[in-house]
Amino acid sequence: MSLVHYLILAGILFVISIAGIFINRRNVLILLMSIELMLLAVNINFIAFSSYLNDVQGQVFVFFILTVAAAEAAIGLAILVVIFRKRKSLEIDKLSELKG
Amino acid sequence: MLEYLVSAEFYQIMLFYVYSFILLGAAMAVVTMRNSIYSALFLILSFFSAAALWLLLEAEFLALTLVLVYVGAVMVLFLFVIMMLDIKVKPNKGMSSYTKVGLFVALLMLVEMMMLLGKKLIPALPQDDLVKHIKGHSNVKEVAESLYTQYVLPFELASVILLVAIVAAILLTLRKRKDYNHVKPESQVHVKATNNRMRVVKMEAEKGNDIGGDS
Amino acid sequence: MNSILGWSELTPILPELIILATACIVLVLGLFTSSEKGGLLVLTSIVGVVFAAITTAKFHMGDHELTRQVLFNGNFVRDYMGDILKIAVYAVMLFVFIYSKQYLRDKNIFKGEFFALMLFGMLGIMIMISGYNYITLYLGLELLALSSYALVAYDRDNMQSNESAMKYFILGAIASGMLLYGMSMIYGAVGTLQIDHVALQVSNTNNTMLLSFGLVFIMVGVAFKLGAAPFHMWVPDVYQGAPTATTLFISSAPKIAAFAFAIRLLAQSLEGLFDNWQHIISVIAMLSIIIGNLFALQQDNIKRLFAYSTISHIGFMLLGFVGGIDGYAASMFYIITYALMSVAGFGMIIILSCKGFEAEKISDFKGLNQRNAWFAFMMLLIVASMAGFPPLIGFFSKLVVLKAIVDQGYYVMAGIAVVFAVIGSFYYLKIIKVMYFDESESDQEITAGFDVKSILSFNALLQLGLLLFIPSILSYCIKAIETL
Repeated sequence: MSLVHYLILAGILFVISIAGIFINRRNVLILLMSIELMLLAVNINFIAFSSYLNDVQGQVFVFFILTVAAAEAAIGLAILVVIFRKRKSLEIDKLSELKG
Repeated sequence: MLEYLVSAEFYQIMLFYVYSFILLGAAMAVVTMRNSIYSALFLILSFFSAAALWLLLEAEFLALTLVLVYVGAVMVLFLFVIMMLDIKVKPNKGMSSYTKVGLFVALLMLVEMMMLLGKKLIPALPQDDLVKHIKGHSNVKEVAESLYTQYVLPFELASVILLVAIVAAILLTLRKRKDYNHVKPESQVHVKATNNRMRVVKMEAEKGNDIGGDS
Repeated sequence: MNSILGWSELTPILPELIILATACIVLVLGLFTSSEKGGLLVLTSIVGVVFAAITTAKFHMGDHELTRQVLFNGNFVRDYMGDILKIAVYAVMLFVFIYSKQYLRDKNIFKGEFFALMLFGMLGIMIMISGYNYITLYLGLELLALSSYALVAYDRDNMQSNESAMKYFILGAIASGMLLYGMSMIYGAVGTLQIDHVALQVSNTNNTMLLSFGLVFIMVGVAFKLGAAPFHMWVPDVYQGAPTATTLFISSAPKIAAFAFAIRLLAQSLEGLFDNWQHIISVIAMLSIIIGNLFALQQDNIKRLFAYSTISHIGFMLLGFVGGIDGYAASMFYIITYALMSVAGFGMIIILSCKGFEAEKISDFKGLNQRNAWFAFMMLLIVASMAGFPPLIGFFSKLVVLKAIVDQGYYVMAGIAVVFAVIGSFYYLKIIKVMYFDESESDQEITAGFDVKSILSFNALLQLGLLLFIPSILSYCIKAIETL
């Protein structure tokens, strides 16, 4: 398999995740999952390049992205829980206190 | 022909396409499902397929980490939150305007990126196979060596980031329950027998005539 | 190359270590102090920042003032620009700590974690300033971002605070994703992540397609993080929704970090692509100035107004990036003075708020002159400096940036920037008019303590006082950019 295959795969995955962010106005949880998918696409890119360049730095970067993404998921879910307790809803369209 | 079909290269190409299609299909399912639980489960599937692809790329350590940390911890956290919050699944009301715009933007981006990749990038990149390491090469050792020497500072920073995540998650979600009647041992100890424990109440004596009077 | 670290490597990151230690101490102390005795936490934070400032300043006593030290196998750099920016961050953070104590007390939401998270965020800022590797820069960015998300959601019983936190989180995460996608492309093209190696490889490689593909995504990510148009959607909502103490923080010190981040990524590592990113930056800068000033005109919430004003200020700062070396120095000067201005502006909102009342409408400033002439004058100084009226510092920082780009021959851009700055001054004038010529609607006293009042006065008077130091600060900035 060549590098290009993996780049195209990562590109399609990236676009799917962006689409997911636009589509999911009803559910913040799925939005958070789309963000995870986006980072997965980035990780595939990094690992493919790392393998192509025979250089381990790309894999180290992926290690850190995984760590940060886990921390980010924890904080995102915490904010989500707080919002749900207040409103009993996860719809983004209903988040409209701030306008202008 | 038959020789090619049983060769290792063909097997790898086949694996790549199988896992890629599962990954993309699962990713599509994640973003289109109404029910968050299905989405989470499909996300797990996509992580598994991505891990398999990383194995093909000889990034064994990260493939294992992805399964252990992501599927084992992060996705469990997601599922935990989904189960904890009682989310009502709304019936599908057809595509909203956001969905249409979203799909349009995504398609446009996809076409643009593919045009760019196809026209300009791919000819610029070598088409040969990716590097294959010799037998006995340890990816874990390679990553570990880099991580603990060259990247020791970022490694320590990552620990601070995790600390911030812990503090933030607790700060935001910890709630002292108002209806929780816990016993305070320190105030129990300080109770004095003469003043606090016993209370002498003076009362008027009840009139005795209504005891069993009406029957 | 892969040496084990020793003491000689630890001395230059002593300021970072001190801030980290302070953050941990404050975190633990916060558990044992009641909210009434919170002064101890603020004091500890301030002592930590002062110690860090002393250690940073001490590098300048030695003989290696201008030499660049690349440490930790190319992950960290201590250079002149980093030191100057860090000193600016310390100064801004001291104001932030003092004002936010006042606010949290008034709102009765004082908790030790607030200050710990701010210190962690500050550590992230310092790492962003000194990172010399894409990995380190990214981790610094995320450390700051994660602390900021939590700080925005801090007032968790407040609906607006939650909502703005969610918006901030989602858009911030998307921005990180974009940035990382761009970084992965750059990595693929050059095969390294260290800033100076990338710069070297960029000029050698002929794979420009992959590089410019990555560059676009990096620019989107950086613009998102800076809050520049057309990626500014989060800024007004977050500024308005967050507790004012948090807005105070995210509007000041992180802007300095974002400047350093842009310098490290664009001006240092992707210097070879200057011609490519210069056009994108000029479009982003012009859009920010136009959108920021036009939308600010229709706001009646002062936090939201300041948010749009931030967007236009960021536009001005980015304008400097078009002008090469002199432009970078001008941007650096601009962002340092802006951070001091912004912190004073939000400090003013805090000091006018009191228990159960938030002074966030422009009408809340009505007749301030009758209520308290001194603070009306202070607000006048701050607002006039933001608008860029002479002879305040805001005027000179705009002048320096405009001069830098006019020298490069960008007359049209400078002209548009001036026109919109003049349009923008209307909404600042509206605040001044309301303060001096309208009847007061309330007779609210300013209840803040003497210390907060005097420090805010000092901060506002800096808008005049800094005039004396313009030549020296400017020469520091030029020297900092020259020794990059």
